[in-house]
Amino acid sequence: MIVLHVRTGQAAGHLDEHARSVWFGKLDARAKILGIFAFVIAAALLTDPVLVMCALACALVTALLSRLPPRHLAKAYLAALPFLAFASFSVFLFAGFERGISMLARTSACVIALLVLATGTDTFELFSGLRRLRVPGILTTLLMLTHRYLLLLSEELDRMRTARRARGFSGGRSLLDVQAFRVLSNTAGMLLVRSSGRADRIFEALKMRGFSKDMRPWRETRIAALDAAFMLALVAIAASLLLLQMEVFP
Amino acid sequence: MGIAEFVIVLGAVLLLTRKSLNEKDLPRVAILSAGIFVAQMVNFPIGGGTTGHLIGAALFAILVGPMLAMIGMTVVLIIQALMFGDGGITAFGLNALNMAIIAPLAGWGVYSLMDEILGKGLKSARIISVGIAAWASVFLAACAAAAELAVSYAISGGDFGIAATVSIPAMLGYHAVIGVGEAIITCGVVAYVWHVSPEFFIRAMRSSEPAPGWMHVARSIPVKAAFAILFVFALLVPLYFLYSSEGADGLERTISEAGVEEGEQVLAAPFSYGETYFGMFFAGLLGFVAVAMLALSVLRIFRREQTKSRGR
Amino acid sequence: MRVLETTKLSFAYDDGTTALRDLTMTLDDGEKVAILGPNGAGKSTLLHLLSGFRMPFDGTVAVCGRKLEQQSADDIRRDLGLLFQDPDDQLFMPTVEEDVAFGPRTLKLDDIEGRVLRGLRSTGIEHLAKRRPHRLSHGMKKRAAIAGILAMDPRVLLLDEPTSGLDPKSRSELVRLLKSMDRTMLIATHDLEAAAEIVDRAIVLNVGVVKEGTIRDIVTDSKVMEEVGLELPAISRLFKELDSMGYPVEALPVSMDQAVAELTKVIDRVGRQARSRGVTKTAGQKKKT
Repeated sequence: MIVLHVRTGQAAGHLDEHARSVWFGKLDARAKILGIFAFVIAAALLTDPVLVMCALACALVTALLSRLPPRHLAKAYLAALPFLAFASFSVFLFAGFERGISMLARTSACVIALLVLATGTDTFELFSGLRRLRVPGILTTLLMLTHRYLLLLSEELDRMRTARRARGFSGGRSLLDVQAFRVLSNTAGMLLVRSSGRADRIFEALKMRGFSKDMRPWRETRIAALDAAFMLALVAIAASLLLLQMEVFP
Repeated sequence: MGIAEFVIVLGAVLLLTRKSLNEKDLPRVAILSAGIFVAQMVNFPIGGGTTGHLIGAALFAILVGPMLAMIGMTVVLIIQALMFGDGGITAFGLNALNMAIIAPLAGWGVYSLMDEILGKGLKSARIISVGIAAWASVFLAACAAAAELAVSYAISGGDFGIAATVSIPAMLGYHAVIGVGEAIITCGVVAYVWHVSPEFFIRAMRSSEPAPGWMHVARSIPVKAAFAILFVFALLVPLYFLYSSEGADGLERTISEAGVEEGEQVLAAPFSYGETYFGMFFAGLLGFVAVAMLALSVLRIFRREQTKSRGR
Repeated sequence: MRVLETTKLSFAYDDGTTALRDLTMTLDDGEKVAILGPNGAGKSTLLHLLSGFRMPFDGTVAVCGRKLEQQSADDIRRDLGLLFQDPDDQLFMPTVEEDVAFGPRTLKLDDIEGRVLRGLRSTGIEHLAKRRPHRLSHGMKKRAAIAGILAMDPRVLLLDEPTSGLDPKSRSELVRLLKSMDRTMLIATHDLEAAAEIVDRAIVLNVGVVKEGTIRDIVTDSKVMEEVGLELPAISRLFKELDSMGYPVEALPVSMDQAVAELTKVIDRVGRQARSRGVTKTAGQKKKT
């Protein structure tokens, strides 16, 4: 499952450069974060099936308008689908067909909106956008560094996995397979020891360049008319959905 | 609810660590987060062709201490949710509470307590503590998840969450087994790391500076550990109350609305089970922690007296 | 002017292994010096120690007249530019340009735009400014890392195995780049051939100093070469071979420039000999007839 996520993530890495060329990718990250999150929060609170469907439609329209490659969005959505389906199915079992469907629609609306945000924004810009929205610097700096070194480490793991397979390791059979667990925990241990060594070197590299606890981007974008319009449109949609819901159930 | 608790706890953790955070820890936590993220890709066999994967919360906490582990696990989860389009986005708040707050805290708390009880420094004892801590972290996180799902199901009248009948046995049963795999791998990793690079642990093991009188007791690791475990339960307790009082009404309403015929039975079974089970579970664990804490403080004071008299 | 000076420098790791013993060395302004030695000789440790990351140590280190201590370490680092063996360790920003700008920005230096541009230009990677570091080739990563250091304009460059892991083409390009740079450098390497092209002077290190002198001094000392396991540069080997085949070599060349000079001398000499031999031969023949 997670391997799949990283694969799609790697694909997203290729997309990062593409994302910057689409109009959605050029929007200021802060405007996108605020707009999308307003929408997601509103969508998550909806209970009326009609409104939930409206929210889903809005999410789909946003996805279409963003001009992001639909195949990639679909692939990422499919990766999330098992979770959504499981939750919806259990709701369906215990609360009936209609509720199951609206559960699926609601979660899908949220996931699609967030996927548009995540794939349509350069990852680093997303984090620096969060930083500029006053999320604590420790957290965003950690996110930036973790994200930077994630691919490096997963490639390292891939190499170790290949080496393991080359020596005839097939993954083990059950919890009682001592040998398999020894191999697996050594792999994970080696990975952590190596990453610890790398962490020390990165610390030194950061210090060599005068780093102190906070990482900010150099080239910062400004909020222009288009950014503001996008954000306000999404906030308006979110607000009107919520207001409609409250009028229906006073 | 879940996200509110999570944000409050994370905020507190960030505030607390901001002052004490060693500059050197920042890249360390970042790279270890990446490492844990990647280590989660290591699948282990459970049996019958199914596999589970490492969660790593206890491992993280044992390696860098509870505070940094909570921040690190949060980072892992955010990247997972945002970057890789995980379905966890929708339940991010609850998921984060379980995996980034409860699991590392529980893991570290259990580990430190067990380590103290079983005797410090003994290799085999330490490995056993690691295993139990890893299992406990997974199991407690699963308890929290099951309770949350049931509660949100009951409160929302079936719109969100999963019914208690499904969630409790499924989550707890499944994770009790998964936890064993987690425990074995975590033990293996800790043993490996200990063998290859013991300096890894220096920071996590470093005890706080001696302080006079009662402050000394309050700052000692077992007391902190006990607090950590108590804190985990404090986070779970409101869920439990919601579950047993309002939650029941919500569930009842749902079932009658949905027109389930055997409503009475469905309702009766999980709740008589749930109430006694959870009640006993919490009472038992709270009692255990309280006793352990008391015993350890006494032991500590006693030991201090002993060393003093020996000093004379 | 002395930019770097160590006296009786010793360092041991936490586990007790000695990494450096009684190292006394100096580096003058504008000088390029190589630290040669096998793996585990303490080369990397020395560079990291000079940057203030290995405390405490015995002996003294002075950088630009300031003594290296815990308190002065941050200031001293401003005068030093350390190139890590693995460029991934020091490229942590999302684009090359952001990474090059990182140092000048955190140190609050002036004219960031200009510094970035100069850094990229002098390493020849202007076209990569917007690219992501982790997608670059190893050689380009090294250049990006060097650009990031140059943007901070340090007094001394400390280069840790600059040529390791590079393919032959990017290696020779990097060597050319370093050779053309007019900066004070301390290069830790076991690539004798590359060092011979770049530096004026070298120190052979194996925990302690084994030998100090020009590359030629070191190459001709077969005992030292044997002891630290260094390989003779291919060019030197070629000329040794020529020497044993009867083409006497005055001074064993270690770099391409020296080789070219030496070879022209040899060809000259051989040509002269051939001509004079030819003259005597024809003279003899004439006598016979």
